[in-house]
Amino acid sequence: MRLVSRLLGRRSDRAPYAIFGGIAAEAYKTRSLRSRLMPVPIPEKLVLPLSQNLDVDAVAIVEAGDLVQKFQPLAEAGEPGSVALHAPTSGLVSSISNATVADEFGSQRLCIHLQTDGEDRAIETVPEADYSALDHLQLLERIERAGICGLGGAGFPSAQKLSLGVKSGIDLLIINAVECEPFISADEALIRERGASVVVGAEILQSACLASNCIIVLQEDKADAIEALRKALEDSSIELMTLAARYPVGGEKQIIQAVTGMEVPSQAYPASIGVLVFNAGTAYAVYKAIVDGEPCVSRITTLTGAPLQTPKNFETLIGTSVSFLFDLCGIDTTRHTGTIVGGSLMGIQLPTLDVPVMKTSNCLIAMSAAEFPPDEPELACIRCGFCAEACPARLLPQQLYAFSRAHDHEQNLAHGLFDCIECGACAYVCPSHIPLVQYYRASKAEIRGQQARQLQSQHWQQRFQQHQYRIKQRRDEAPHQVSGDAVGPKNDDEPGNKNRSHGDGGKTEAAVFSRERAKREIAEAVARVRARRAGHIASSRTDAESDS
Amino acid sequence: MQTQRSAIVISSPMQHSQRSTGRLMLLVIAACIPGVATATWYFGFGVLINIMLAASMAIVLEACALKLRGRDIRLHLSDNSALVTAVLFGIAMPPGASWWLVAMGIFFAIVIAKHIYGGLGQNLFNPAMCGYVLLLLSFPVEMTSWHIPNDALVDGSSFSAFSLAGLRQSLMVSMPVFGGAQMSSPDSIDGLAMATPLIEFKMAGTSALLAAWDAGVSGFSRDSGAAWELVNMGYLCGGLFLIYKRIISWHIPCAIIATVTVMSTLYYAPGSSAIYGTPYLHLFGSATMIGAFFIATDPVSAATTVRGKIYYGIIIGLAIYGIRVWGSYPDSIAIAVLLGNFCAPALDYLCRPRIYGHGKKSRTVPTAELKS
Repeated sequence: MRLVSRLLGRRSDRAPYAIFGGIAAEAYKTRSLRSRLMPVPIPEKLVLPLSQNLDVDAVAIVEAGDLVQKFQPLAEAGEPGSVALHAPTSGLVSSISNATVADEFGSQRLCIHLQTDGEDRAIETVPEADYSALDHLQLLERIERAGICGLGGAGFPSAQKLSLGVKSGIDLLIINAVECEPFISADEALIRERGASVVVGAEILQSACLASNCIIVLQEDKADAIEALRKALEDSSIELMTLAARYPVGGEKQIIQAVTGMEVPSQAYPASIGVLVFNAGTAYAVYKAIVDGEPCVSRITTLTGAPLQTPKNFETLIGTSVSFLFDLCGIDTTRHTGTIVGGSLMGIQLPTLDVPVMKTSNCLIAMSAAEFPPDEPELACIRCGFCAEACPARLLPQQLYAFSRAHDHEQNLAHGLFDCIECGACAYVCPSHIPLVQYYRASKAEIRGQQARQLQSQHWQQRFQQHQYRIKQRRDEAPHQVSGDAVGPKNDDEPGNKNRSHGDGGKTEAAVFSRERAKREIAEAVARVRARRAGHIASSRTDAESDS
Repeated sequence: MQTQRSAIVISSPMQHSQRSTGRLMLLVIAACIPGVATATWYFGFGVLINIMLAASMAIVLEACALKLRGRDIRLHLSDNSALVTAVLFGIAMPPGASWWLVAMGIFFAIVIAKHIYGGLGQNLFNPAMCGYVLLLLSFPVEMTSWHIPNDALVDGSSFSAFSLAGLRQSLMVSMPVFGGAQMSSPDSIDGLAMATPLIEFKMAGTSALLAAWDAGVSGFSRDSGAAWELVNMGYLCGGLFLIYKRIISWHIPCAIIATVTVMSTLYYAPGSSAIYGTPYLHLFGSATMIGAFFIATDPVSAATTVRGKIYYGIIIGLAIYGIRVWGSYPDSIAIAVLLGNFCAPALDYLCRPRIYGHGKKSRTVPTAELKS
């Protein structure tokens, strides 16, 4: 098929390439697709974590007690990796304090707590019906200001990804609507009902990263969404490709392989081979940001699972609590055994329901004992190799498992442990019910820890050598001084020691002196940090502008 | 430390397939049924008795070993791996082997070859074949004498192997307790060394057997040539079933069968009195099929990478043919498989597949040109 179309030189109907491995996981999508996409009523309280991907915090620009309106910026992007945050509705900022966020440990992160007033008053937005009037820098700037990050789950700031792409040059923009996770149907619902907007979003993204080609990719079992897209794409240059249902073909590396036949080099960004991948939800958020001028304050989230009476896809305000959404769907608490955020294969299990939906929360699964039976006890690995057949990175999970158990990290690295994308296909097929991905995560953490320790010890070693060198140097320079002086901190020649005092007294005096100096240095450092924080907002703003 | 932490936090994936190791092992046993049934038909109850004896002893020994190692007995017995070892060992044993021979072999297989190495998954060598080779080296005479009930040798009494008398005789051979002193010697019941046709080839040269082979296969006639042919067909069917069920992959059996076929074609010398029989004889006149589909494919001790499996199969195939033809052991599956086991770790290391994103020229579209 592919060969034929190549021989005929038809570029239009590209046939997908095969990915490595993969599994045919049973899908549970239809129940959440029965009802239409629904907006969620405004809850009384919204909790907005400053970091939407639980990585780097944005910098809050409101204070407790501020009254805010819908779309008003609450936090600005600070360090790379953070995105701006906007008020999803009008109300009162009750506090900026720690709250439990949606991760597997139930950790506390800094959040903006918003008491809603129900009036939903919005600040004025600047719609831009004709986005083609904007050049790619303006588009990038607006996308950044709208606080858009990858809505497929990873939450990487979209503007950063786009500008990375612009730098290395993009041939192909892939809009990923594959959604191969068995429970998630958010993108399918979105495209089914708002396919035209997704296409416009894709076109905007294409002009923002100056990509020569754009392709929207779906799994071929989404008939309604494909039909909707076909209609929306009638007079667009964007191509449509359907892939056979296979998990994890929607993974970034896998979708690139399926569409282009190319592989992203190990430890590199897709941009390095001229490809960018954006989620369909992100494309929709971009459409809203440019065409409607509305920042990203809501997302489509799938609510599903057997304990829910009416599973559906909600257009959810960021910050809505999971328990509020479950109550809307009529949860049967007697059957509810746990909650997953994300998919059943790559998601995480929440320790508590009282956590907010974030920009990355594409799916919430209420677990039941029937669909998610308790984990079976782990048996011995018989090296059957099912895992190696399933691995989309073409690793040898059975070998990595043995090396992980033996803490043989040299072999782990030689066998490509860090090329594991943690898709869980290996653990899914394992007949001995071994939680393989957990072993790999543990090994990765151990290796990272080892590397960090190694770096640190190298650092200390270096410091110590410098210290020894200084002592030696001083002894050589001043052989007449008493030996006790030699250990005192008094070398002025070393760089970085400029601020140090010139203590030339005895040992105890030097110690007292150094304590005072330490206090002073700490005070200075605190002052510096304060000054930097105060100036951060302004500077980050100018930084952002100069970046784009 | 990390492992402990992640053991508390429930981690993805939360969904799993329905396959389990215990079920896989049961399916392997089920796939043995056609071959075992055919062998029982031709060689009498001795085949079944061997399997039953081995299985019951294996379960007891496995439970004891698990207990001594402080493992959950019920949980680990449920993987059914000891049963598979016992069945394969029992099939390999000559019918009419004494009970103590079976006991010694299965003890070595389960306790020494498996649990001392760390239990299922840790053994470097196929336990069943370890037990078998130990016996073959220590008791060469007993291990190459095949005993079948007298009646089976009498023309016209085609069903006698299944008669009660046949069962009793078989029991008496393997467990002399049942039959009294006069039965204790294998020679006292018309024991017949009726090992594989290949052995007869090797030992007897051109005999009546060659003539029988030249005359073609004669249905249900009770000559060992036809018997082995059908037994091998049974294992071939079982093996194809396992491949169809995706329990074993095709690589190892195909590599072994292809290698044996190629070797025996290359060295085939028609009419020669030597062992250089037809490829068909080498494939179906001995234990090649059970070796290729059931024994060499034991995942624990076999190579596990795709290319590794193919090389592993070729090594075993070469060893099977080489030992048969030029070595001093008449049949060679067990030794060949152990040889393959020796090579497996190195093969796996050398045949690692190319990982995604490594070493392939990734950028096929020159972007610079497109941009300008």
